[in-house]
Amino acid sequence: MSQPDPYQPDPGIGRSERGVVLAYMATSGAVLLLMMVLGLIMRLDQGELLGMAPDWFYRVLTLHGTGMVGIAGLAGAGIMWYFLRQYVGLSLAVAWANLALFLAGVILIITGIALGGYAGAWTFLYPLPANPMGMWDTGGAASFLVGLLIIGVGFLLLHLDCARAIIARYGSLGRALGWPQLFGRNDGKAPDAAVVASTMVLIVNTLGLVSGAAIVVMSLINLYFPAFQVDPLLAKNLIYFFGHVFINATIYMAVIAVYHLLPRYTGRPWPSSNKAFLGAWTASTVMVIIVYPHHLLMDFVQPQWMLVMGQIISYTSGLPVLAVTAYGAIVNLHRAPIRWDLASALLVLSAFGWAAGIIPAMVDATIVVNQVMHNTLWVPGHFHFYLLLGTIAMALGFMAWMVRTYGGARESGLDQLSFWVYAVGGVGFVGMFLIGGREGTPRRFAEHLSGWIPYDRWASLFAALVIAATAVFVVRFFAGLRRAALTEA
Amino acid sequence: MKPRAGWLVAGLGGWGLLALPPARAVLEASLPGHMVGQIGLLVAAGWLLGRSWGPVTPGELGGWNRYGATGLVVAIFTLAFWILPLSLDTALQDPAWETAKFLAVPLLAGLPLCRSWSRLPGLARALLWAHLIPMLAVMGWIYHEAPVRLCNAYLLDQQALLAWTLWGIAAAITAFWTIRAFLGQAPLRKTIYLGERP
Repeated sequence: MSQPDPYQPDPGIGRSERGVVLAYMATSGAVLLLMMVLGLIMRLDQGELLGMAPDWFYRVLTLHGTGMVGIAGLAGAGIMWYFLRQYVGLSLAVAWANLALFLAGVILIITGIALGGYAGAWTFLYPLPANPMGMWDTGGAASFLVGLLIIGVGFLLLHLDCARAIIARYGSLGRALGWPQLFGRNDGKAPDAAVVASTMVLIVNTLGLVSGAAIVVMSLINLYFPAFQVDPLLAKNLIYFFGHVFINATIYMAVIAVYHLLPRYTGRPWPSSNKAFLGAWTASTVMVIIVYPHHLLMDFVQPQWMLVMGQIISYTSGLPVLAVTAYGAIVNLHRAPIRWDLASALLVLSAFGWAAGIIPAMVDATIVVNQVMHNTLWVPGHFHFYLLLGTIAMALGFMAWMVRTYGGARESGLDQLSFWVYAVGGVGFVGMFLIGGREGTPRRFAEHLSGWIPYDRWASLFAALVIAATAVFVVRFFAGLRRAALTEA
Repeated sequence: MKPRAGWLVAGLGGWGLLALPPARAVLEASLPGHMVGQIGLLVAAGWLLGRSWGPVTPGELGGWNRYGATGLVVAIFTLAFWILPLSLDTALQDPAWETAKFLAVPLLAGLPLCRSWSRLPGLARALLWAHLIPMLAVMGWIYHEAPVRLCNAYLLDQQALLAWTLWGIAAAITAFWTIRAFLGQAPLRKTIYLGERP
């Protein structure tokens, strides 16, 4: 059986389009490495291998969390834009505007944390920003919040542009989700997987960003006029709706790389115009929106029906799309003449990372478990699992494919070694979080008891391995970046 | 009657009707009636006047309203000023302010909006709608949670009523665009990309 050639450039992508996507991925890669180093510093500090003032620990925690969510969104957006652009007329100016707003927001966030001392985590839970007990000044919190707002405006602009272009081509969001084929006779002409996934993402993220904008502005007003108070439960619902949707959307954007690139390696198409695929994406559109109460299972004042819904929907929310993706990947790979390289290996790893990472999430979404485990390292264990080994693996795989296809990057023995270091280091790193959580290690604590420290030290070692492997991937990407940007495909 | 004359009559007629003492008394009796009802209707009267100028053309106003940006900014600042509690209060007490409101809102908000809205790129219009929803919600929250009376002329219960009115409008806009985006015809089909000439 002859091996397929996965390195065929996409004819619908010119130099200008490739330029903006490469800029997204380059920004994501550089910030990713920096944020990973901050993560290592925190684990070293918890393991008492590094001395850091506790106030700085929480600043680093804030920057790491916000930065990682931000670059996961940016990398996902880059992947989505690259593939969606081949079907609809997306605006280049809007894509650049989003990147510019993102960078402006990052500068404000860093200023708020580094100079203003803000250390209230990405969650900016009311009334914490306005009540720092001397830990930060009002300007620092305001700078952080305005930074978030600006980044949100950029992403809103991008998703509205996606909506405009998709509606212009397909007539409505319902048709772009493949509803005529899903609910009627399937003529096999449903939109491509990239269109279906992008439509789902723009629906949920627009709602999330609009809610996020409301609570950020309310928090800003409360910061300067404390007499204007927010219902804390309403604030937490808005914040977690926004946060939950945004971070989930990152993987739904990035998974488009799996749908489009894996078939090029196996030589088999990824069928998307079938009721299972379309039904899964429509079901996930609804469930991603209504599942967020699983973040509030410890809030006893939350209406009980929402808590019950949070648990039940958590069991089903990720499953439809995950099932069609994981099953689709297995079917695609089974006995296929796949051409293994860094990109294909990372994409397959990402399907595993997503699938396996959801299991600890489901465990934590069970109310009786959540009462015990939610404030432990179990939670960062689950989200690092599907972000590090899922979303980020998809982004790194896409970056490797880009510089190989457009920049002519060559395979080397270092690729294979780095991949295994990343995979083993990644599993070990998230494993230490999960084991730490099982042992009852609280999350967001700068100081750990002596019994928890061994896990912190092992986690530091695994984190260092992940950083070393990621550095190889990112340096490899930057080495081929110029050629990938300038070459005429 | 020619269409342009029809728009002119409708605009001037609506403007005149709103200025009649009974209409003013009814609308200004409540905070939602004043801020949302009367000011909203004055914007609509100005919009009708704007329609009487004929079709919107790219070269009108000597290029001072490219992409409708100038007109939009003028309209937003005018509305931002006239929905301030102080402006509403003063308009009730001082006939000169009331007159200024009746002149400014149609001529500096409704009319420029009419001449500018269709010239805005589709994406900018979508962004404005998307921002209007959370900002209406936030404004409702401000009126709902304000620890003091913001207007001398209206009691606290009016502030709560206004909050619910604004939240209702936000919900209606959300429902309208959600239904239209899912089922309707392409609302943003004629789109001009940002940075491109119309």
